[in-house]
Amino acid sequence: MSSLTSSLADAPVQDTTRVRTRSYSNRHWGNALFVLPFVCVYIALLVIPVADGFWMSLHDLDVLSGDSTWVGLQNFVRLWHDGIFRGAVWNTFVFVLMTTPAFVALGLALALALNRQDRTGTALRTIFFGSSVLSVTIVTLVWRLVFMTDIGLLANVMHFFGLSAINPLTSSALALPAIALVTVWWIIGLPMMLFLAALQQIPEEIYEAAAMDNASRWRTFWAITLPSIRRTVALVATIEVILQFQLFGQAQLMTNGGPNNASRPIVQFIYEAGFQQWALGYSAAAAQVLFGLMLIGVSIQMWLSRRHDAQ
Amino acid sequence: MSTQHIAGKRLGDRLILLAVIVLALIWVAPLIWVFGLSFKPNAELMRHTNVLFSPPFTLKNYTDILGNSSVFRWILNSAIVSLGQTFLTLVLCSLAGYGFARTEFPGKKVLYIAVLAGLAVPEQAVVIPLHHIFADLDLHNTYSALILPRLAAPFGVFLMTQYFKAVPKDIEEAALMDNTPRWKIFWRVVLPLSVPAQATLGIFTFLNAWNDYLWPLISASKPEMYTLTLGLATTQGNFAQSEGIGFLMAQAVFAGLPIFVIYLFFQKYIVSAVAGTTVR
Amino acid sequence: MKLNDICKSLLACSVGVGALAAMPAHAEQTTITLARFFGACEADYGKVNDVTKAKGECGIITSLVNQFNATNKDGIVVKPEIAEWGPYYDQLTSRIVAHNVPTIAVMHQSVLGDFVSRKLVEPLDDGFKSVGINTADFTPQARHGVILGGKTYALPFDTWSWLWHLNTNILKKAGLTNADGSPILPKSPDELLAQAEKVKQATGKPYFAWTTANETAAPTRTFFTLVYQQNAQVFSADGRKISVHTAAATNALTLMNKLWTGGYIKKGLDYGATQQAFLNGDVAVDVVGNWTIDDFYTAAQKPDSALHDGYDVVPFANLYSKQAVFADGHSWVMIKGGAKSDKEKKAALTFMKFLWDHDFDWSRTGHLPANNTVVQSAQYKAMPFRNNIIDITRYGVSTPSNVPRQRAIEAIVGEEISSMMLSGKAIPAVEDAIETRVNTLLAGVK
Repeated sequence: MSSLTSSLADAPVQDTTRVRTRSYSNRHWGNALFVLPFVCVYIALLVIPVADGFWMSLHDLDVLSGDSTWVGLQNFVRLWHDGIFRGAVWNTFVFVLMTTPAFVALGLALALALNRQDRTGTALRTIFFGSSVLSVTIVTLVWRLVFMTDIGLLANVMHFFGLSAINPLTSSALALPAIALVTVWWIIGLPMMLFLAALQQIPEEIYEAAAMDNASRWRTFWAITLPSIRRTVALVATIEVILQFQLFGQAQLMTNGGPNNASRPIVQFIYEAGFQQWALGYSAAAAQVLFGLMLIGVSIQMWLSRRHDAQ
Repeated sequence: MSTQHIAGKRLGDRLILLAVIVLALIWVAPLIWVFGLSFKPNAELMRHTNVLFSPPFTLKNYTDILGNSSVFRWILNSAIVSLGQTFLTLVLCSLAGYGFARTEFPGKKVLYIAVLAGLAVPEQAVVIPLHHIFADLDLHNTYSALILPRLAAPFGVFLMTQYFKAVPKDIEEAALMDNTPRWKIFWRVVLPLSVPAQATLGIFTFLNAWNDYLWPLISASKPEMYTLTLGLATTQGNFAQSEGIGFLMAQAVFAGLPIFVIYLFFQKYIVSAVAGTTVR
Repeated sequence: MKLNDICKSLLACSVGVGALAAMPAHAEQTTITLARFFGACEADYGKVNDVTKAKGECGIITSLVNQFNATNKDGIVVKPEIAEWGPYYDQLTSRIVAHNVPTIAVMHQSVLGDFVSRKLVEPLDDGFKSVGINTADFTPQARHGVILGGKTYALPFDTWSWLWHLNTNILKKAGLTNADGSPILPKSPDELLAQAEKVKQATGKPYFAWTTANETAAPTRTFFTLVYQQNAQVFSADGRKISVHTAAATNALTLMNKLWTGGYIKKGLDYGATQQAFLNGDVAVDVVGNWTIDDFYTAAQKPDSALHDGYDVVPFANLYSKQAVFADGHSWVMIKGGAKSDKEKKAALTFMKFLWDHDFDWSRTGHLPANNTVVQSAQYKAMPFRNNIIDITRYGVSTPSNVPRQRAIEAIVGEEISSMMLSGKAIPAVEDAIETRVNTLLAGVK
């Protein structure tokens, strides 16, 4: 704020050309016009609904009859004591920890391997992107057929190797990892392409210099590639944490949260409370908790990447 | 020494490629399965789902889709909604991304953090309030209602900001010296550099719009306003997941094709030499 | 006129009021909307307006509507608004909130109570009288489902229940058929366990296919059936409390657990896999609802089928003292605000009367009729297996209509019972969890 007033105060004493030149690098209200359209949409369609949702979480609400009673923080207290919800929070964290590193590592590996402009590259990229095209209904249906007890693809492969087959979706220990696997299969395309787009930004000359030095593939990667795309690594990690925190369809359709609440994520809990049990206030409270957890997750990542930037 | 090294590198390249091809085969197997099942009679699939390459085959699953008189209307709706959302998202996010990455204005940092905080908002937290807002405005069952809510997602802004930050400053500075207006620099100099990021954002905005389900479900209740994803889901019988597997798979192939077209259109802008040569 | 049309379609494209274009062209017509699931099948039945030519839920309801539109003399046009089965109620609720209500909507009898208690559904007694639907013709099960507090809130369309679909070829190998080929059914839990062991010894196959994976309502239906057969209840009289720390509930859970741990239930089956297992002859008995009768019957006609000359279906076998089985049904309701005028209301009632008169056609889906006249008709009894299951319309037990959120409760109960089977959760812990979760849910309902 103070620099704005000072620049305004400075303005009259300087010739117009200089003021305009300076204003590009200095703070200027006009520059806010770039972000204004998005910010308007953002406030109207995200900030206001979020505030509305928070207000709902402090009420006991019935959508259909329109009844609403102020209950303060009671919904949050109830969540704290709800074993199913605590299980859902745990499952969600485990799921994020399983999938995010996989998306970053595999996405980057595929991008590095497929950053080539020949037909092979195009074909392979299309395959890895291809699964993203399917809707969650189809993805889960196909994988349920793959995992199907005794006669599914997995069971057949296991039998072929003389192993006893089990349907991972019916095991409390394996259900969540199986859902994680399916999720990685489904949407590896996004991180892969984000990394590809970033690799395009690294100038050829740097690699040429490295090739002259006979630097090994591994050294080139650590010394040149990774530092050049560190912003994208942070971006992908952040995006994946956010996306995977919101796990829903895969779990609902493949295991319905079971067995024994071993794979119910928070969003499924929110959906069930809101849409099946019609406990809107309770559902909104759970959504606020998820929002809070994700906010903490995003902040930590931003802080980490910023600290990394500063170094 | 040097030739040996290069030979080793070549071998390494081949091994990596081989590994990726093996992985790709695993990746593509379920996709082939989806495709194959879409040509099988549903009654057959009630008994077995692991016989792909033996007859009988049928086109009935596809003719059933095309036999629905609303299906072209749904495709039109989906195209309007998805393309509209993609176009508007690219416009809004490029502008905002540039504003946040490359310009200064009072309160920028706070505003950017506020926008990033929006990344953490789960869809489920806003869907009911949004439904109320659009109901109050009497906008349900319109294209506006189907397009607008997704425009508020900060993902694109985050992506474009990160991307613009990586564009070297000196490219702009030359133009700044000439007193070119800021919007011209954005339009002529910086925007062309961001084509790979735009293409990535474009593909995924289109993809998410096309496959979106929960919001269209509660916003569009008139069949003539259904999107393709929603419309096809309504044609499924109550036990489609066991009685209509072939039909479901045909729907998946049918609904997936337009996304492939968009992907093929955009992807060449992602991996092309355009960006690499101009950026230092 | 033409210009006007162009204007309209331009408007429709640009502003997105597609509905404008679809407005009725003739003023004398009364258009009413019909919100339903059951799928869409225009390719096969879009032009069929003779219901006798249709098969399956989708085919029959589609051609019923076509037939009504083609034959009614009052200029009524019924416009179906089809939704997906899974999220049907989510969509219906959001339509009510957005004041965009269909004239008629399909509704499960187990859900009706929630809508009635919020005064969202119109009572229809007077309306039914005016078009000649006699509520005395409702079957006992249907009456229970749609009459709440003395008022009729919906037109019952069917009853569906929990059945044993039998592979008599397997039962025969285990010596569990009579001389005439009819199955010998167990009459007590011990007999059931003994029979299941016999099947295992004789064929190596499990007795049952139950949907235990990724589905929650199936174990609930079995559990409720077993409790009801002991002449016991799970809900309190006011419908606001569940109690499963009872001898009857423990008996039921113990039996289910014994069958599971004894290997008499094929493990790891979701809904689709359950049906596959039965069709492929991997099990003797498939426990599922009415809706699969037609598919199984058709499959059994094929000479290469495991069910060839060996398919039969009976109500869930009576293992205790009282004849009872879990039941629910589909019905048609008029939500407040749906009919915009008396004329539309009249039109809706006229269509309901048409549906009521064609209850037999709907019962060809495998669902049980809600109309007593159909139950007693020779035409109905002449259909395969219908004689076996017809009595369910009399003794079927649905969850009391004063219990709110029945579907959510079924989901919770089923999930806990699945935990017992899939993860070995102990019976007392299952009972604790059911009571805590359901009673918390019920306490939150105003």
